[in-house]
Amino acid sequence: MAKSIDIVVPDLGDFENVEIIEILVNSGDRVEAEDGLITLETDKASLDVPAPQAGVIESISVAVGGTVSSGDVIGRLSVEGGAAEPGADDAPVGEPQDPASTGETTVVADPDLVPGKPGGKETLVVPELGDFADVEVIEVHVAPGDTIAVEDSLVTLETDKAAMDVPATVAGTVLEMLVSVGDKVSAGSPVLTVEATSAPAATPPAAAAPAPAAKAPAPAAGKPAAAETPTAPAPPGKLPPINEVGFARAHASPSVRKLARELGADLAQVRASGKKNRILHDDVKAYVKAILTGQAAGPAGGGLPKVPSVDFAKFGAVDVQPLTRIQKISGPRLQASWVNLPHVTQHDEADITDLEAKRQELKGPAKEKGIPLTPLAFILKACVAALQEFPKVNASLSDDGESLVFKQYIHLGFAADTDQGLVVPVIRDADKKDVYELAAELRDLSAAARDGKLKAAQMQGASFTISSLGGIGGTAFTPIVNAPEVAILGVSRSTIRPVWNGESFDPRLMLPLSFSYDHRVIDGAMAVRFTTFLGEKLADVDELLRAIP
Amino acid sequence: MQITVPDLGDFADVEVIEVLVSPGDDVAVDDPVITLETDKATMEIPATDAGRVESLSVKLGDRVNSGDAIGTLTPSGAAADASGDTVSTRVMSPDEIAVATGSTAPEPATEPAGDATHRAQLVVIGAGPGGYTAAFRAADLGLDVILVERWPMLGGVCLNVGCIPSKALLHAAKVIDEAEAMAAHGVEFGPPRVDADKLRGWKNSVVNRLVGGLTQLAKQRKVRVVHGLAQFASPNRLELDNGETIAFEKCIIAAGSEPAMLPGLPDDPRIVDSTGALELDPIPKRLLVVGGGIIGLEMACVYAALGADVSVVELTGSLMPGTDPDLLRPFTKFVRARYESIMVSTKVTGMRATTPGIEVSFDGKDAPSVGVYDKVLVAIGRRANGDKLAAEKAGVSVDPRGIIKVDKQMRTNVPHIFAIGDLAGGPMLAHKATHEAKVAAEVAAGEKSYFDARTIPSVAYTDPEVAWVGLTELEAKEKGIAYEKVSIPWAASGRALSLGRDEGFTKLLFDKDTDRVLGGAIVGPNAGDLIAEIGLAVEMGADATDISLTIHPHPTLSETIAFAAEGFEGTLTDLYMPRKKRG
Repeated sequence: MAKSIDIVVPDLGDFENVEIIEILVNSGDRVEAEDGLITLETDKASLDVPAPQAGVIESISVAVGGTVSSGDVIGRLSVEGGAAEPGADDAPVGEPQDPASTGETTVVADPDLVPGKPGGKETLVVPELGDFADVEVIEVHVAPGDTIAVEDSLVTLETDKAAMDVPATVAGTVLEMLVSVGDKVSAGSPVLTVEATSAPAATPPAAAAPAPAAKAPAPAAGKPAAAETPTAPAPPGKLPPINEVGFARAHASPSVRKLARELGADLAQVRASGKKNRILHDDVKAYVKAILTGQAAGPAGGGLPKVPSVDFAKFGAVDVQPLTRIQKISGPRLQASWVNLPHVTQHDEADITDLEAKRQELKGPAKEKGIPLTPLAFILKACVAALQEFPKVNASLSDDGESLVFKQYIHLGFAADTDQGLVVPVIRDADKKDVYELAAELRDLSAAARDGKLKAAQMQGASFTISSLGGIGGTAFTPIVNAPEVAILGVSRSTIRPVWNGESFDPRLMLPLSFSYDHRVIDGAMAVRFTTFLGEKLADVDELLRAIP
Repeated sequence: MQITVPDLGDFADVEVIEVLVSPGDDVAVDDPVITLETDKATMEIPATDAGRVESLSVKLGDRVNSGDAIGTLTPSGAAADASGDTVSTRVMSPDEIAVATGSTAPEPATEPAGDATHRAQLVVIGAGPGGYTAAFRAADLGLDVILVERWPMLGGVCLNVGCIPSKALLHAAKVIDEAEAMAAHGVEFGPPRVDADKLRGWKNSVVNRLVGGLTQLAKQRKVRVVHGLAQFASPNRLELDNGETIAFEKCIIAAGSEPAMLPGLPDDPRIVDSTGALELDPIPKRLLVVGGGIIGLEMACVYAALGADVSVVELTGSLMPGTDPDLLRPFTKFVRARYESIMVSTKVTGMRATTPGIEVSFDGKDAPSVGVYDKVLVAIGRRANGDKLAAEKAGVSVDPRGIIKVDKQMRTNVPHIFAIGDLAGGPMLAHKATHEAKVAAEVAAGEKSYFDARTIPSVAYTDPEVAWVGLTELEAKEKGIAYEKVSIPWAASGRALSLGRDEGFTKLLFDKDTDRVLGGAIVGPNAGDLIAEIGLAVEMGADATDISLTIHPHPTLSETIAFAAEGFEGTLTDLYMPRKKRG
């Protein structure tokens, strides 16, 4: 039976508070004795902390950028017991089984019931996460010994878009947790082992799901596994791709080039401290460290003047509170969009007098069916028509900026305000849905966003985004494009305004539209045409209400 | 029946850049017969019928049009095509070419090994310097490795019929030449008596010792050696000609190259390639070397020392094409005095086997119209073996010259299959192959290695040796790179004089602004050994001062490198160089 031991930093000699520059393993990884687990860097050299024994990493409790000293615990390792002591170690396995009252008492004493052998024991893994990898575990809801039911939330993960729960796929008793808070996991990473109770209905799909997924960590048996999973750079910054021409020109000796390749650093970007711009080993390390800790932005952000730092406490009492995680993550993305995209915002108004009258009429009956028929549903519908008319607004620039990618689908993102910060759920294939369907989906996604239950897939793939602040107020604003999309529609509060009809002023309900766009893709004339077209659609409520054939 | 050029569309007078078959070859349907090159693309003309090639009426450099005859073919299953005597060939459509070149790479799916005879994490095809280095390095990194070799001996061309045996013979040549040269200085041995059998035996013993060492090294690393000619059956499986199969997760292709032959030569034992020339069987009275590249000139050197009258014929305007002209001057002067003739800008227009010898006809202003030779060595280059492995079955793209394109990590278009050495493009040199081998093995084992070498040294082990590394003057002029050149004649080196060889020189090229060493070249005895220091300087980005302030032992030939650096700085005292660099 496996037993769990602390992984400690070995004697580092004179060094203390040595910085961690790389974490080489994830929870659930199988390691051999002496395999490197984390890389430390002193001012003299970098060194790996090796695994004390072979086993499976239970947890790593340190992060890149942290510091450690000799004897510090950096995580826990589950070690397979030697053949000598299976009897003694079997005991803990039996214990949790009794409360579970599985009735499989015969199995308890079975010496075959060791980890890895098929029995009542199953390993639950992280399900498909869409594009995400190395997602952080921010909460663990269960502990060994807990009884869980199918769909119970096991752990909560947080991507840069939102938090999501990993549900149980089988019912049973938790045997062992394989992750802890702060671990990074990917699809297929083991979460925990469970002694499954007989759950015939749930078993077939559950058994099918973990099987292929559980294979994922298996290649770790050979050392090369590290190559297949690109080394996970810490979230604050990501090293830009290597420009081979620049790399080949850099003034750097072969050993410096090798180091740069190992760290994935582009020598063309590294600031040289040697004479005649010779790049030294330390220059490469400093560059990588600066990017990974976010001190230096990637190539795009370089050279921006900094906002002066001010000691606010000098002027009065202050209270420092950390940003929420979503704020921390959305911040750089917003800045990247703001800095990289030449933004222009076009303001316009749409006459929604008729639309609003009709909506008031339909609202009651819709509500009886549980559908809140909000103005936003109509705006989404009008946007679909406008995007079909102006496909460029639904496009994106290719990575090299040389071509436009026209999407043959319309997935609409809408900004949702939550306690944790701004999230953008996505209504897929909005062009295939009528107003009622859009309204129902708005309701479901908004609720999920508020409860922090949005799945990763529900926040990906938007081709255009709408930010409606109309429920709160405002007359106009300049939304930031959600790059790589090329435009965003901002909506403020509608007001009754006098509109000249040629003879007199009519009181009309006017909706302010603020359309921000990437000027590299959309020019001013197209932007006005887009908002004008949108306004016409919003005025034609009958067309908006037309059912999708 | 005739083989004809199919409809070429708009193209006329298209050049034949490669002749892929010879008379007597058996071809299958769709086997390429010749390669044409238009200004848009190259295309292979495939046979539309299976059979044996009887004759070829085109050769390299000829221009052809739609409908022209290429040659004649005896169909094997003749009854199939009753319509007439013309085998029409056809040109691939662009779509077919896209498919043939494998622009869509298959997934590196690890199919079940099934019933394969062998299985391994890594299989290396070819046990030459590239292949065995890759296999050994990968084994040292913990991979389970199979090394496949078609010949009974490990070591490939380099050990068996290339670098090593030729160096053994060149050593013999050097001893003979030096002994002869000493006669003028008061030490006379008399004319040498050459026992060709014994010399061959010694050469073979050198080879055998190295090859035996390789077998031992493979055993120590538990690298399994499998003999057979390998072909891909799928992206994860090889088939050998003995019927065995190998299932693999990753593969390194290191199948090298073969001597290219002139088309249409008579089948005669007196016409040999480099492999045949190394057999010294017999040592001819009169030898013609076709091709003035490094391989041809090295063998010319051996045979001249062993007493043959050597002639060299080269198609282009100079020996060792691509080499800086100043390097060739002392070399050419030295060999002109010793060889019967050197014919540049001369084309071999035909060969005929006659009883007195091989009758060769030439077309060139300094050449006789015809000459008769006891032996003809054809050394016109080597052809990559990339297209001999059914690589398309693994989805690996191979170009019409048999070369497999790779990235800086030596990966082919199929990510779990690597290619190194002669068939991976670039110079066909063992030291390049071994360097690539380590990169490929390390990447296959999960390390982040890249082929980041800035330069690959070139050496002709002729007498005198010619070696260069880094930037050459020809390249600098072509690319418009500013440089300053310093040449040190070996007449200024005491060591060179005491060797009785003052014709050589050492040349360094520097960056005028940064003083960095950009490249260098050496002509003279041991140039190949001396060039390594300049290679290190280029890789390290060394300045002239870094070299000049490194104490070079006296008296050695290596001093001449330091002299060149001092010459650039203006601190040289062993020569008077009026043009001072700077203050």
